[in-house]
Amino acid sequence: IKDVVIKDDAPNALILDKHADYIAAYGSKKDDYEYTVSEYLRMSGIYWGLTVMDLMSQLPRMNCEEITEFIKSCQHECGGISASIGHDPHLLYTLSAVQILSLYDNVQALDVDKVVEYIKALQQEDGSFAGDKWGEIDTRFSFCAVATLALLGRLDAIDVDKAVEFVLSCMNFDGGFGCRPGSESHAGQIYCCTGFLSLTSQLHRLNADLLGWWLCERQLPSGGLNGRPEKLPDVCYSWWVLASLKIIGRIHWIDKAKLRAFILACQDEETGGFADRPGDMVDPFHTLFGVAGLSLLGEEQVKPVNPVLCMPEDVLRRIGLEPELLS
Amino acid sequence: MKLFSLSILHKGATKSHLLKAAYDLSSFSFFQRSSVQEFMTFTSALIVERTSHGSRASVKEQEYLCHVYVRNDDLSAVVIADHEYPQRVCFTLLDKVLEEFSRLVDSIDWPSGNPETINYRSLDLHLAKYQNPKEADAMTKVQAELDETKIILHNTMESLLERGEKLDDLVAKSEHLGNQSKAFYKTARKQN
Amino acid sequence: EVAVLVQRVVRDISNAFKKNPNIDEIGIIPCPEPRYNRSPIVLIETKLGLESWCVKFLLPSLHRKLLLYRQRKNYLDREALVDVTVTLLLLNPDFTTAWNIRKELLQCGVLNPEKDLYLGKLALTRFPKSSETWIHRRWVILQVLQQCCAQKGCRKEQCEGYLCHTEAMGSSQNLCTHQAKLLHQEMSVCSEAAGRYPSNYNAWSHRIWVLQHIAKDNVEVFLEEFSSMRQWVSMHVSDHSGFHYRQFLLQALLTELCKAPHTSTAATTLYQQGTTTTSPSACLTETRAAFGLDPSSTERQLGGGTIAQLIDLEMEFCSELIHSYPGHEALWCHRRQVVFLWHKW
Ligand SMILES: CC(C)=CCC/C(C)=C/CC/C(C)=C/CC/C(C)=C/COP(=O)(O)OP(=O)(O)O
Repeated sequence: IKDVVIKDDAPNALILDKHADYIAAYGSKKDDYEYTVSEYLRMSGIYWGLTVMDLMSQLPRMNCEEITEFIKSCQHECGGISASIGHDPHLLYTLSAVQILSLYDNVQALDVDKVVEYIKALQQEDGSFAGDKWGEIDTRFSFCAVATLALLGRLDAIDVDKAVEFVLSCMNFDGGFGCRPGSESHAGQIYCCTGFLSLTSQLHRLNADLLGWWLCERQLPSGGLNGRPEKLPDVCYSWWVLASLKIIGRIHWIDKAKLRAFILACQDEETGGFADRPGDMVDPFHTLFGVAGLSLLGEEQVKPVNPVLCMPEDVLRRIGLEPELLS
Repeated sequence: MKLFSLSILHKGATKSHLLKAAYDLSSFSFFQRSSVQEFMTFTSALIVERTSHGSRASVKEQEYLCHVYVRNDDLSAVVIADHEYPQRVCFTLLDKVLEEFSRLVDSIDWPSGNPETINYRSLDLHLAKYQNPKEADAMTKVQAELDETKIILHNTMESLLERGEKLDDLVAKSEHLGNQSKAFYKTARKQN
Repeated sequence: EVAVLVQRVVRDISNAFKKNPNIDEIGIIPCPEPRYNRSPIVLIETKLGLESWCVKFLLPSLHRKLLLYRQRKNYLDREALVDVTVTLLLLNPDFTTAWNIRKELLQCGVLNPEKDLYLGKLALTRFPKSSETWIHRRWVILQVLQQCCAQKGCRKEQCEGYLCHTEAMGSSQNLCTHQAKLLHQEMSVCSEAAGRYPSNYNAWSHRIWVLQHIAKDNVEVFLEEFSSMRQWVSMHVSDHSGFHYRQFLLQALLTELCKAPHTSTAATTLYQQGTTTTSPSACLTETRAAFGLDPSSTERQLGGGTIAQLIDLEMEFCSELIHSYPGHEALWCHRRQVVFLWHKW
């Protein structure tokens, strides 16, 4: 079996202060080569960093004004938001921007009507969503569209019924979902589709037992979760798989203690942060999903996280958004 | 399902040395092939040095599995495969090439031989033929003869090393690895 | 000094492509220090390599250049744009906006689609799962297909036979050469990427997309794919994506067989007439060959019989793999799907 071995000396306690320092320092090394190559996804990067800081109750350490100004300057004429200044707008970064401003309770910093208009225009005849004006279709983008609108309280702007039909047409015989009709099931896509069905209150259209079975088969002997059969475990799948299981009310189908041990082993005790697997290089992406995964597992040192939007529950309560969950 | 290298080595008192090797590195990107080849040779030698006489072992290293057989007469062979390739076919192959090699090459030449001096030409053919285990016809026949419980499994290269010994140091010190390969090793580690 | 170096490298790369249109792979050569007064570009046969030391200068500088241009703070002529995006995308192919700039250049006729498909193919040799590269590819292909249908050189009815579903049992003879070439090229790009990264989700879902858009309902193409996948999955028994693709084909073929109720009668008659060149019969012969069916023994059991047989044969194939290569989850997942199909039909 393809898996990793967790060494005896691997970290087994949560070192939150180190993680907070790691994230706080990450944004300050802006001329770094790494920073340039990842600029195409900067907006999502900021969302990962801020969300994990908020889950650790450390959000005040981040520069709210600077970030808000940055986001404002990333909104384009069409209403869509880009990953960074000078990049092109896309649904992926439109969602991240709205998530960040929701953490700050300040979505009004954007031209909200224009955001809604942008998303509405990307819906296709068959209900699917293009990610941007160039037309690529993917269930990820259906999720981004619906999640953004839900955060803005504007779900009525699109044809929800058609959107639902499209997502359901991507369901496979194993209960999972792929990026388009006929595509392979993938834990990341499943997260997007179950999250989508939750936000549109259509979870009853899932085969929750079948899907839950597939999802809990992602757990490997090491305790870690993979995203597809015969792939290595990866901390980010602790989120994609676990959140999906939570949404469909089947989180108790996996061995929580073992998963917790795997996630903790992915921490870097020196630098702070989480890596995809024990011993690898850390990054903000895996740091968010490591901490958020632990939150779903009941970790008390971090705030409860919402499984659909991957944001602190207190933020969603403030907005008055309560996505459907199966029990 | 892939076999990357097949080598025959002689296990000396402290060191081991290569007698003959065959490689199929077509699945690696072009500019990495020479470094990958050096590493496979380096790893094969190291594994033979750290494996005792008369034993068989499999060593996991990232996406590779290295299978070794060290005979009591010092003659040894290593095949490096991916995780899909069936283990027992690998050991069948090792048995077969060692048997053939010892038949064709006089044992006087083993301790001092090297790939240039050793006249044994069929390693490439074996490697090519065994790429598809089905065609090699090893699946059904010999498998029963191999007692799998006698194969030692190491989950990492590190478990072959002695206390305090580090793979990074061995790589840095090695005379057989060129600068480019050492740089390659560093970047490969960083990405992980 | 950096600016000079960057200019030089970009020029060298673009010259390398001009001089050698057959470059088929790019790579980075591990080399922490520059070697005295030598270009970091290395061309060996058809392989283009870049020494690693220069990447940390090259990429940030080109990145800045392009973004300034995008904000209208800096002018770049079209040729410069083409060269800058080539180098950037070969180093960082998930840089969406750089692909978008090339889409715009394509739309105004500065670039031709073949060139862009070629650039993507090269980027995939180093980054076989780069999702933005696959996404750009699909956009370019749609442009080509549109053009192809509009062109005179490609006879209209041929295009329709290819793109749309004329008859249930189409054949690739219905494809115009343009599209047949495109199809073939995409299949080989996908195979290459699938070989470089196991369970390559993006490569296999692209392959499905290509069939859905270029060879929709073209049974012959599906059959060809199905039979060539047999060998591929046998040699990649843990590749869940490869198996998923085979399942996609199997399901499509079964649906096709069901959809054509005339198959059992019409095809049987055709078959009894002996070998003819009409496509349904050719297709059935293919089916048999693809599944190893013996013509004489199956003659009486077409229709429902054929469906059951396809499923049976797949089950047998799967059992054989499970026995030969124990412990592979992907094989058991495949078996589940076959059982599901068996249940469904
Ligand atoms: C609000 C949050 C948390 C997310 C926004 C919504 C999005 C965009 C979620 C993305 C989910 C995801 C990871 C989708 C999978 C994409 C995909 C098909 C990746 C292909 O996987 P490979 O490139 O083969 O990588 P692996 O080897 O890890 O499978």
